[in-house]
Amino acid sequence: MKLEEFATGSSFIHHLDPRGKVVAAACFSGLVSLTQSLYAALAALALPVMLVALARLDFKRLMTRLAVVNGFILFTWFFIPFTFPGEVIYSIGPLDIHREGVLYACLLTVKSNAIILALIALLGTSPVLDVVHALSHLGVPDKLVHLFFFCFRYLHTIREEYHKLSEALKVRSFRPGTNLHTYRTYAYLVGMLLVRSFHRSQRILEALKCRGFSGRFYILHHYQMKRRDYLFTSCGLVLPCLLVVFLA
Amino acid sequence: MHISEGVLAAPVLLAGAALGLAGTAAGLKKLDYDRIPQVALLAAASFVASFIHVPIGPASVHLVLNGILGVMLGWVAFPAILISLFLQAIMFQFGGLTVLGVTTCNLALPAVLGYYAFGPGIRSSKPRVSAICSFSCGFVAVLLSSLAVAGCLVLTGDSFWAGAKMIVMAHIPVMFIEGFITLGCVRFLKKVKPEMLEVVYGRR
Amino acid sequence: MIRLKNICFNYNSRQVLDNVHFRVDPGDRIGLVGPNGSGKTTLCRIIMGLLTPDAGEVEIFGQIRRKENDFAAIRGRIGFLFQDPDDQLFCPTVLEDVAFGPLNQGKSPDEAKRIVQATLARLNLTGFEERFTHKLSGGEKRLVSLATVLSMEPEMLILDEPTTGLDEQTIETLVHLLNGTNLTYIIVSHDKDFLERTTNKTFSIRGGGIAGS
Repeated sequence: MKLEEFATGSSFIHHLDPRGKVVAAACFSGLVSLTQSLYAALAALALPVMLVALARLDFKRLMTRLAVVNGFILFTWFFIPFTFPGEVIYSIGPLDIHREGVLYACLLTVKSNAIILALIALLGTSPVLDVVHALSHLGVPDKLVHLFFFCFRYLHTIREEYHKLSEALKVRSFRPGTNLHTYRTYAYLVGMLLVRSFHRSQRILEALKCRGFSGRFYILHHYQMKRRDYLFTSCGLVLPCLLVVFLA
Repeated sequence: MHISEGVLAAPVLLAGAALGLAGTAAGLKKLDYDRIPQVALLAAASFVASFIHVPIGPASVHLVLNGILGVMLGWVAFPAILISLFLQAIMFQFGGLTVLGVTTCNLALPAVLGYYAFGPGIRSSKPRVSAICSFSCGFVAVLLSSLAVAGCLVLTGDSFWAGAKMIVMAHIPVMFIEGFITLGCVRFLKKVKPEMLEVVYGRR
Repeated sequence: MIRLKNICFNYNSRQVLDNVHFRVDPGDRIGLVGPNGSGKTTLCRIIMGLLTPDAGEVEIFGQIRRKENDFAAIRGRIGFLFQDPDDQLFCPTVLEDVAFGPLNQGKSPDEAKRIVQATLARLNLTGFEERFTHKLSGGEKRLVSLATVLSMEPEMLILDEPTTGLDEQTIETLVHLLNGTNLTYIIVSHDKDFLERTTNKTFSIRGGGIAGS
């Protein structure tokens, strides 16, 4: 589990204001998921491909990421070409492949990958904390924002605890298998993680109290939208709209 | 339990977003500021725990854990599950922004149902009752979640029927595993930190 | 500054503190030693009002403190450094974390930023403002959490095992800092050498009781 794999880089995409990126990503995802035309979807795919190129992301790691998240899309290829009604173009035994089915599966694949690439190019290229920070400026309730902050902050700590626990299992020659012993062990492991998270959260609350916490959190850092950010955000809003309107 | 971006129809996405928003608002209302660290860390712990791959025969499945989360969190399960899904979307692109509402509902609604249906039984002092309820809680949560995922697909188009059925079938072993894990987990918590099961994470 | 009288504390029906008396006067630099589980941290947490003793009296800055509100008033004046810096550093960036205390004390964001810069400079951490707290090394985390405590300008410090996991250089920084202040402090530690260089009194907790030496 690699967190923030694409977040470090020096391209101008990496330096854009995260608020603009969040808005552009949300708008792009929404519009593309609405489109029903393969042409529009293909044209839309061009945008994130361009962004990914501009962000100069590592090609191999990008492909690995895409392969991992395309599992569900691959799964749709096992039934959509057969079940989506239309003209039969090929038969494998009792199964008929329909032209429209293949096109529909193509549409889903292109749409899905366009959105995934846009997410990688826009949200993956900022540190998670910056993205969450951006949310707080975009009107997300502050309770939710602080849940994000705490969750992400302690994800790292809890992950280390998990690694230590699972190493402790290994050195005591625990070999997972399909048996009750394995399930019980994992249940205790999960229970242990939950209990530790609970204890830690109590200590955090105590630490907050020691520093005068009175039910209020503060965000000090504030973003400045620069000209390129306005330009980029407006492009991010207008281009997908144009695509969907003219090609749909 | 993740449905990819770009698959579901607009009405399904919108309905999911609206329901997710309502559930999250309800959860946040029950969440006091000084409980934020507890809930966030529980979400982080379940996030980490969901990466545990549990072997089943030659394959392995990862844990869902929405049943146990529901029992501990009640309505607060909505925001807790939402933040973990959002982090997965921006860090790994499992799911994304448009399906966020749908997936949150698919996981959190069964969690909240479990809280009402099995919570009292799980907290019971009779070991038998508690065991049966905790197994059922884990089992039913995954059952309902996979049914919800299937429902979203079928509502998108009739051509998804086959896929929807496959998804529910594929989750049958996961239901049993979640049942066992939830059972073991509750047993562990009852011994080590029983107050965690007493809805200390938010107001009832 | 602090007077504990007849403090008793039970944890899971085990008696951790049994009728303990403890006193801290201005200028005291106290080392608190004792075996694991002997109640050192418990004692500190009772002083901070994070635990309520089963019996006894806690007097801090000349007043008897009983309720949460009594303690809330003194927490900014006594800086408590936790054993695990991860418990203390919860903000995304160092700047926000160190500023959290001053902001709670009612300082304006600009004032808070100035305090942060001054505190970081004191600990040789200038330039750390925008670093993410979860990406700091163990030693850096410890020093930053000390900064979060010092930024509240406390009159007294309680440090719970401040040297665990630190390299020699960071320990030197700590020794230097402590000897350079005129703050009253209590240090809980197993590190005899460190205590020798930073404290002028030692108390040991053992079997529920406390003894000076």
